[in-house]
Amino acid sequence: MGFLTDVTIDFERSHLIFPTIIACVLAVLGLAILVRDRHRIAGAGAYWSGVLGRMDKMRFFGTLVLTLLYFSLMVPVGMIWPNTGMGFLLCSIPFVFLSGLLFMHDRTVRNIVPVAIVSLVAPPFVWWLFTYPFFLTLP
Amino acid sequence: MLELITPLFLTLIVGGTIVGIIFGSIPGMTATMAVAVCLPITYSLGLENGLALLLGLYVGGISGGLVPAILLGIPGTPSSITTTLDGYPMAQRGEGEKALRIGIVSSFVGGLISLLVLWLFAPTLADFAIKFSYVEKFLIIFFALTVMAALSSDLLMGIFSGFLGIFVALIGTYDISNGGNGKMRLIPPGTEYWMEDGFSLLPVLIGLFGLAAIFDQAEIGVPRGHSRDELRVKGTSTFSLSVFRGQIVNLVRSSGIGTFVGILPGVGGSAASILAYSNAKTFSKHPERFGKGEPAGIIASESGNNGLTGGALVPLLSLGIPGDSTTALLIGAFTLQGIQVGPLFIGNNPDTWNAMIFAMLIANIAMFVLMYVAIRYFALVVTIPKHILFPVILMMCVIGAYTINYGIMFDVWTLLIFGIAGWLFIKLRLEVAPFIIGFILGPSAEVYFVKSLESFGDVTIFFTKSWIAALLWVLIAGSLAGSLILSRRTGRTAPE
Repeated sequence: MGFLTDVTIDFERSHLIFPTIIACVLAVLGLAILVRDRHRIAGAGAYWSGVLGRMDKMRFFGTLVLTLLYFSLMVPVGMIWPNTGMGFLLCSIPFVFLSGLLFMHDRTVRNIVPVAIVSLVAPPFVWWLFTYPFFLTLP
Repeated sequence: MLELITPLFLTLIVGGTIVGIIFGSIPGMTATMAVAVCLPITYSLGLENGLALLLGLYVGGISGGLVPAILLGIPGTPSSITTTLDGYPMAQRGEGEKALRIGIVSSFVGGLISLLVLWLFAPTLADFAIKFSYVEKFLIIFFALTVMAALSSDLLMGIFSGFLGIFVALIGTYDISNGGNGKMRLIPPGTEYWMEDGFSLLPVLIGLFGLAAIFDQAEIGVPRGHSRDELRVKGTSTFSLSVFRGQIVNLVRSSGIGTFVGILPGVGGSAASILAYSNAKTFSKHPERFGKGEPAGIIASESGNNGLTGGALVPLLSLGIPGDSTTALLIGAFTLQGIQVGPLFIGNNPDTWNAMIFAMLIANIAMFVLMYVAIRYFALVVTIPKHILFPVILMMCVIGAYTINYGIMFDVWTLLIFGIAGWLFIKLRLEVAPFIIGFILGPSAEVYFVKSLESFGDVTIFFTKSWIAALLWVLIAGSLAGSLILSRRTGRTAPE
């Protein structure tokens, strides 16, 4: 009977053994979830339209777009002044200010001024902290 | 060890505790987030000083959750859910300060008891685990994943999430330094340049716990901050230690429950406090008073969740398996300093181990003194507007992700990918904790599994290697069977 449990590992293909097993287990578990939750999965359209309906779309998608822009612009801006961390600094200031405005409920001057101050102080402070005392290069 | 205890070391513990309390006090922000955001600061601090900061954040973050739980009826962290049940009614009848101080003292006792367990138990467990071969190490990971899945709100989803975490961790090269063949797998075509080493741990963690939390708050419109008028700290009833008369058993039992839950891999503070609370209610002479402002409820909840702090470090420092999501982040701090946690850690790094115990002790004392003396000021933290905090946190998340590998932009995109994934996990009812543990332990599980088969050439070795292997299979079967029985008894079904 021992031959049924014998295993020979081919070193050249050993990188595929564990991922294959895990993929098979995931497929079985996925199937089990599919069978058990078939009614819920069938109603997924209604569920997601409910999620979208209740969602604060401006703040959620605004955050997503601002974050995408922030990440995308950091490197091109940084390339103008290489190895100075300016990409991070120059993109963080408007990002902190704009996302602060986005999250704010009452956009009055009294509320906007602290956001403006934080956006002008926090990114330069963090940039200085990581560039000089910590010697870490930012984009 | 004494040379490690410098003014900087002590300042970092106290500073970390203060920042942790602030994070914990703000609903929507957690101890895990505090550790995630502050991790990049540890790059230049060295291991002991970095851990001092992070352990302070951990203890402070777990403790701070009681402030909004009691004053606003909103748990600052998931681990304070049950504190709201009795804390908020007390605050409403003018006993806010008294309730806060009951919570602070209970947190302190819970933290100290769990620290004692950590100090006594972790080295013993590590000594025992040193004897483990690859077979037992693989089964320990398998056991950790089943325990975590069994304690998930949905067993099937919990197991699926754990295996998904392992699968994602396998993306990249089968590491030669771990005995692999150096070949790539699971990498989408065209992305080999970026994904050769797979996803880095820290951007994944920061994305799942930092960015995802902000997306989650943005989805619900970033709730407005709270005004000072809503905080009812002062009252007619003052705190006295006589409140704890007749509660010593509750205090010790709840701390013990919290510590035990902490030792179980991947189970968070919310489970600790809920278990401690329900036990306190069951054994109370006046269960009908629970939920209406009963101090025993706050004692159980807060000693339970702080009991978690030391307990969660036991499996991390003795087996290399994180006890909860925050200690999973601590693995990142060790990785940054090039140190692997596992059974050899305590024996090979006695100074670091002693420094950690000392840091936990000081963090608990600092938390107690700071919160007890200055609770009225910490209560004001609740009023800090999120529109100021969240953008700065997001910026810190970027720094953390970017600097982890000394400047790789792909890590920043990883942050965004897992930030969105973390938000989707909540919507799809996948479990984040099993995913994270699977992600962290996946590469080790692969090495232990494949090397066991290479060495022995027989799959039965996983059952026959030793009595420990057989015992682990019994425990694995027991945890799954226990979860199924519990699920049937409580009528737990798939979420509709």
